[in-house]
Amino acid sequence: MQRLLLLGLNHTTAPLEVREKLAFDAGQRDAALSAFAVRFPGCEAVLLSTCNRVELYISRETHGRPREEEMVDFLADFHQIPAQDFKDHLYYKANREAVEHLFAVTTSLNSMVLGETQILGQVRDAYEAACKAASCAKMLNPLFQRAIAVGKQVMHDTKLNEGRLSVASVAVDYAKNIFENFGDKTILSIGAGKMSQLVLQHFAALSPGQLLVCNRDAQKADALAAKFNGRAVEFDKLAEHLVVADIVVSSTGAPDAIITRARFEALRRQRRYRPIFLIDIAVPRDIEPAVGEIDNVYLYNLDDLQQVVAQNQSSRKEAVSAAMEIIARHIEEFAAWQRQRELGPAIQRLYTRYHQVAQEEVARTRHKLANMSDAEAAHLEDLARRIVNKVLNDPVQIMKQSDGVHTPAGQYMHAFEKLFRLENEDGSADGEKTG
Amino acid sequence: MGDVPTTGQLGVLIAAMLVLLTGLFSSLRRWRLETRDPTLASASPYRVISKICLYAGTIDCIGVLIWHSHARGSWQPLEDNFGAFLWLAVLLSLFIIYTQRAHPLRGLDFFILPVVLLLLVLAIVFGKTKPHEYQETTWSIVHRVTAYGGFVAFAIAGAVGGMYLFANRRLRHKKLLPGQGFGSLERLEHITLMSVTLGFALLTVGLVTGLFRVLDPRRPNSLGPDWYRNPKVVLACVAWIVYALVLHSPINPAFRGRRTALLSVLGFVLMIGTFVAVQFMPGK
Repeated sequence: MQRLLLLGLNHTTAPLEVREKLAFDAGQRDAALSAFAVRFPGCEAVLLSTCNRVELYISRETHGRPREEEMVDFLADFHQIPAQDFKDHLYYKANREAVEHLFAVTTSLNSMVLGETQILGQVRDAYEAACKAASCAKMLNPLFQRAIAVGKQVMHDTKLNEGRLSVASVAVDYAKNIFENFGDKTILSIGAGKMSQLVLQHFAALSPGQLLVCNRDAQKADALAAKFNGRAVEFDKLAEHLVVADIVVSSTGAPDAIITRARFEALRRQRRYRPIFLIDIAVPRDIEPAVGEIDNVYLYNLDDLQQVVAQNQSSRKEAVSAAMEIIARHIEEFAAWQRQRELGPAIQRLYTRYHQVAQEEVARTRHKLANMSDAEAAHLEDLARRIVNKVLNDPVQIMKQSDGVHTPAGQYMHAFEKLFRLENEDGSADGEKTG
Repeated sequence: MGDVPTTGQLGVLIAAMLVLLTGLFSSLRRWRLETRDPTLASASPYRVISKICLYAGTIDCIGVLIWHSHARGSWQPLEDNFGAFLWLAVLLSLFIIYTQRAHPLRGLDFFILPVVLLLLVLAIVFGKTKPHEYQETTWSIVHRVTAYGGFVAFAIAGAVGGMYLFANRRLRHKKLLPGQGFGSLERLEHITLMSVTLGFALLTVGLVTGLFRVLDPRRPNSLGPDWYRNPKVVLACVAWIVYALVLHSPINPAFRGRRTALLSVLGFVLMIGTFVAVQFMPGK
């Protein structure tokens, strides 16, 4: 019987310095899988290594190798680091817990950012690499295929990956509600701080026609503009820049508003009344709220954007329970499949063996009762068959109802095979007959 | 001959209206659900229903048109009220279908389908009357085609203008979450201006050809000597002025954005008034 094991660490159990030591790039991963196959022949393995986790999934025989310590040693040997450096950060899971963990990983429930979709691709890459290395077989193949399917289903059927979780990406989404094409638009950043940089990073991805950075400190403006292929412009000529800008991101440390209604009204005619999207992420605000009352001006401040972010976070959290329901259902389905796979042949051998024993006893009895009619013989055979079925029904039902990937079923299975002597193909123990 | 629609034709048309109405409600329901719950699972049946109803209703109307034309013994469009309103409704429906396939614009059907339904109602209400006996001249044919063609373009402009006003209001009041809009405001404004441009050209030709008809000394003036005070003429001219203002926006940008959308809607209301006024004009 196969046993599924997981050994790994992630961002919740290990700091970055430890994760760095244990990380595998693509080449190292392939080499590790090959080394694993040599060291532990007949054992399946998938190695998942991302910036936030390193996990080794294996499938082996119930009493086979490797054991937990051997898995730890393998990782230590491959990276040539002492096991003590990372041993305390590891988690070890078996069977059902390992399946639960894998499904939580592919659905991003175990990720740093709930609802992130990158992990699904990373798991798929790890699985494909294992397939290429021929280290996936009857257990890990269906498991990882199902894990990927669960990830897709959760992303599709729940709100787990809906909505943006950063102010910058929400701002970009609002810009898309106003403008269709960004290739002819000018984006103006007033301020060159960290927040401005974050927002500009998202807007730069839209490939705007022009990107201007305006800051009191010209050097900072130059540095930020250079990052995004933009142009630094003078802060003193802000009015001129507001005339050409279509999207303005304001994040200065100014104590008072730098764009007032009066100042902006004077520029409307020069702007030819073009719509403008103003993003004010400064505290205190850089743009007077009254500016937002002007026609064709769309003013959003930090609160407005953070409200959307908070709403999205809340939606994602609500989606967790829906995701967990989907995961639970898939775990049960996988367990049932596993159970069927392991039990099916064993039950078949059990019934075959003991019906054969019953038939032998019926034949012996018929031989002793020479005057038995055909009808009586038929009744006797029927009796023997029914007795065998009734006697075996209870243990078989208990086996079927136990969890296929849970430890008790594994123990049951082992005892089942021993007690009923099912190790041999024909179901009979060597040199023994009942009777 | 068969200018007046038969009971059967009216029955099928009413069925088409009910189907389109069902499609409209399904579409609205889907939008409400997706606004509250962006996952598609709960909303996708409504999407399917609204699509099926739109296609079925349009095919139904085309079927009635064919039936009516066959019964009349003439395949020339826009010759009678019933056929004319039906043509307009079908053209607008086809516009929705084309746009949603080629360049999807969420919410377009919410705003255009009511116009389609209104046209079908007008077809039923005014279909049995025949206010004019058209004298088939080149001018009258061109007049009718351009007038009706302009109406279709203005209907699109008015509907999209309505979408702009709705989306603009929600954006300014911060009631719109990202991704829930009807397409960007820039795109809506662009569609409005394109439609108005086309409609304006057609309306201008329609007005000019109408004027030629009225002033043609060889034919009796169907609008009478005070034709310039005729409500149809007045409304059409006012609509022309409104749309001229809309088209003025690139030159005088004070009219762009929300004002363009408002004027488009106003212009379309005037056009509807013009079409209704036609029904009550006596004479030949």
